[in-house]
Amino acid sequence: MKRRSRPTALAAFAAAALLALTACSGSEDGADADGKTTLTFLSWTGEEQMEQVIDAFEEAHPEIAVETSYSPPVAEYIQALQTRVLSGTAPDVFLIAAENKTNLIDGEHVVDISGEDFVENVAPFNLETYGRDGAYYGLSLSSWAAGYLYNKELLAEVGYDAVPETWDEFLEMCAKLQDAGITPFLESVDQMPTTISAWIGAKNDGMDPSLDDQIFSGESTFAEQWMPELEEYNRVFEEGLMSPDVVGLDGDQVRDEFANERVAVINGGPWYIGALREANPDLDFEFSLVPAVDGGTPFAAGAASPGYAINSKADEDKQEAAKTFLRWLATPEAVELFQSLTNDVTVTSDFEPPVDPAFEPMVPSIREGKLYLPMIAWQRAEDVLNVEAVAQIQRMIRGEIEPEQVAEALDTKLAAS
Amino acid sequence: MTVPAWRRAALSVAMILLACLIAVPLYYVVVNTFKTQGEMVASPLSLPTSPVLDNYREVLSDPRMYRSFANTLYVTVVSVVLQLLVGALAAYAMVVRTSRLNRILANLLLIGFVVPGQSTLIPLYRTLVGFELVDTLNGLVVMYLGGAIFCYFLVQGYMRTLPFEVIEAARIDGAHDWQIFWHVVLPLIKPILVTVGIFQSMWVWNDFLLPTVFISSPDKRTVVLQVYNAVTEFTTNWPMFMTVSVIALVPMIIFFVATQRHIASGLLAGSVKG
Amino acid sequence: MTTLSTRPTAGLRTSGTRAWLSRPSGGWRQSAANKAFLLPAIAVFVFLFIIPLGQTLWWSFTDFTGYSPEAAFVGLANYRVIVTDPSMLAGLAFTLLFGVGTTLLITLLAIPLAVQLNKAFRGRNLVRSIWFFPAIPSMAILGLVWRYILSPLESGALNTVLGKVGLGPVSWLSDPTLARLSVILVGVWAATGWHAVLYTAYLQSIPQEYYEVARIDGATPRQQFFGITLPLLTPAIVISTFLLMTGGLKVFDLPYTLTTGGPGFSTYTITQSIVVSGVGQGRYGLASALAVMFTLAVAALSFGQLWLTRLVEKRFA
Repeated sequence: MKRRSRPTALAAFAAAALLALTACSGSEDGADADGKTTLTFLSWTGEEQMEQVIDAFEEAHPEIAVETSYSPPVAEYIQALQTRVLSGTAPDVFLIAAENKTNLIDGEHVVDISGEDFVENVAPFNLETYGRDGAYYGLSLSSWAAGYLYNKELLAEVGYDAVPETWDEFLEMCAKLQDAGITPFLESVDQMPTTISAWIGAKNDGMDPSLDDQIFSGESTFAEQWMPELEEYNRVFEEGLMSPDVVGLDGDQVRDEFANERVAVINGGPWYIGALREANPDLDFEFSLVPAVDGGTPFAAGAASPGYAINSKADEDKQEAAKTFLRWLATPEAVELFQSLTNDVTVTSDFEPPVDPAFEPMVPSIREGKLYLPMIAWQRAEDVLNVEAVAQIQRMIRGEIEPEQVAEALDTKLAAS
Repeated sequence: MTVPAWRRAALSVAMILLACLIAVPLYYVVVNTFKTQGEMVASPLSLPTSPVLDNYREVLSDPRMYRSFANTLYVTVVSVVLQLLVGALAAYAMVVRTSRLNRILANLLLIGFVVPGQSTLIPLYRTLVGFELVDTLNGLVVMYLGGAIFCYFLVQGYMRTLPFEVIEAARIDGAHDWQIFWHVVLPLIKPILVTVGIFQSMWVWNDFLLPTVFISSPDKRTVVLQVYNAVTEFTTNWPMFMTVSVIALVPMIIFFVATQRHIASGLLAGSVKG
Repeated sequence: MTTLSTRPTAGLRTSGTRAWLSRPSGGWRQSAANKAFLLPAIAVFVFLFIIPLGQTLWWSFTDFTGYSPEAAFVGLANYRVIVTDPSMLAGLAFTLLFGVGTTLLITLLAIPLAVQLNKAFRGRNLVRSIWFFPAIPSMAILGLVWRYILSPLESGALNTVLGKVGLGPVSWLSDPTLARLSVILVGVWAATGWHAVLYTAYLQSIPQEYYEVARIDGATPRQQFFGITLPLLTPAIVISTFLLMTGGLKVFDLPYTLTTGGPGFSTYTITQSIVVSGVGQGRYGLASALAVMFTLAVAALSFGQLWLTRLVEKRFA
């Protein structure tokens, strides 16, 4: 008897669904009903933090309403933005990142902001990261840097108070730690190793034309530029100071070993600080730049954070509103608010970001733009090359191939792209 | 029915032990929802020293969570019902008429299984833009209708194992195709419909790929997108991530526990109880 | 659900099905209804699969970036890049291994499991639910949890357990062979329960009378399994293995979250290449070409396998 009612129920259901289908389609216009301009914005920063920033902006600029959507970085964000840009439904303001800058600039999807007053306070390094030929396409307000974190107590046990400044001395220290029964060093290599990024950065610093200009113009090769560094890096494995098992570790696992005082030195960035302090309040640790090789100077791996960009396909008035938004974001008040919510190290000249004392040694590098990340410095095929580099370095660590073969593989990959 | 009691008890013990082993990773997920991030870093695998409910409190006090629950419920119910209907209708049509055309079509439909989803995302998005279905829940429903091919495939396979004399008898009695489908075929294929329905519900409920690309308004978000609020560029607040996941999954677990008896009910019900 | 129609009887079944299927089709009304029943599925298929696939095919011959709609025709250039790329081969190897490995292992485990789960025992519903649960949470979480369990460090969960019985730490995710094995085993863990549930559903269509007759004839449970259960499950095996093969070859999330394709290229998959070059690199033309070739390869493999299992099915029917 129950069965009777079902076909009708289902039919009604399907009808309702169809009705809803047609009804829901015509509600989007985002127009100015009360003289307000509505700005659409795809945030890279999470809702928890960005929401407060947006609220503050809307309070300061009641004539503009910001309709924010969120997509978690990195891959999902890039995918969501790409799809929208292609289909003509891109938001008015979005983030230009290392992964999409080439395509966004080539496709003329972003507005040049180099003439705007709000870029004046921003570190040139950050603007140039998302620029080309003197034009700036992204307002990048902060940078990140990664180096080594060391456990002061464990280092003190073998007579050191900080990470040495050169790689030779660093390996010496690792040997001493190992003799004392302490795991000296763990570096997560599920991404480009921090050490290699920093070394290539140190080498590139002051080079003219830059190291990557030379490689990508065909003047030089990875084999020529990267070989000494790859060989030096391989020493830590050849001398048995770091287990090849690191190829199976990610950053979180390395951080957890460090938090539990099972390793003296790891690679990492400021994003570990909160979790480390919470997990082990007694842990006495500090950051240091990556020790130098080959007569260079200690350096940091890192990059300018993605920059706020304006959609060039947006209407004139939306672009104006977008500029108002960016101008406000670069003000000391906004930077201060953003900094307090995200703990990012900001790079505007009129605001000094407070940082955790342990991170102090890295701050000059960030403020001066002395940072390097291969994937961002590379000029094409960045993702493909990065995947190749990480995989080949892992094979080198496992002793399957020699450093030369890593460099050769990169040259081959570049030639094929 | 002649199985001795001790063998049944042994089976019971063995199966429960095995299930416990299988459940170990799930145990880790649940355990970490009662920890702070710091405690998870310090000891990811142990029991929480003093269980904290803060994660749950924080998630459940967020009104957006409830909104996204409602969105997900709507998308899941509508899309799974439509998928099952479209799939079962097609399966019925294919199985009762084995014409040459149908056979070709049957094989053609299987192409739906071999297309990698990552590669059709952009074309689909552009099509939906044309129909003004982007950033709408109904747009998601349309996308999930692709699952109808999956339903079709499983249901047709099951239908082939059924006794068709019943349908024959109904037809001789003068019943229409729709009547036969509704009153005779659907009850017969209940186990597979429930199985596929559960599976498709899991997929739609949990899917991240489609909502992240197709939904941009915060008020149209699905539950899984809430989960990813805990993700930032460099780190993820895993205890929070897991807590939202667990909360998002509770309805699915209840749904499975409530419906699974239908999978093995019907024919076997008698012998199980006996 | 107590209508007579839900209780098929054994005698009718065997003789009836074929005769009924081979019957010539009825009048126009029946045919029209038949077409109407197929229409929604065809619409879904064309709209959601064929049109996007056609578009992908077209893009595969262009230098489309995925950002600007205009794209220039480049002929077979994208295909040429793919066939000359050495890391492609690495991706292909593990993709095949994963597809075949998980299909075989899950099928071998899920059928006996389904038979057990179909028996009456205390706690059956709970056990069945637990087996099904791995299919529920997102791979992002499961990947994380499994990374903790399979960590190559001494502090990893599995290595801690092994350490207690005196076995040294095992390099689960850092040794290429063990990493491949680990990814496959986690894949098996995640999907066996659901396929067992699928088989359980199919077990319902096997008439109990068969078993009763066999028992009266003195058949052992083993003989019953190989004589009745397995042959009558062949339609289910055809379906389950097809799903496993197509799903396994298309796998992305699991290796990506567990190993990101490492160490080296040992767990790198074709789908990861598609994503890296299409999304990451903005070389959508190339990614499309990859997708087209991949679709053809998956089709060839899984349809070949489908044909094979259907042959076996016919032998048993």
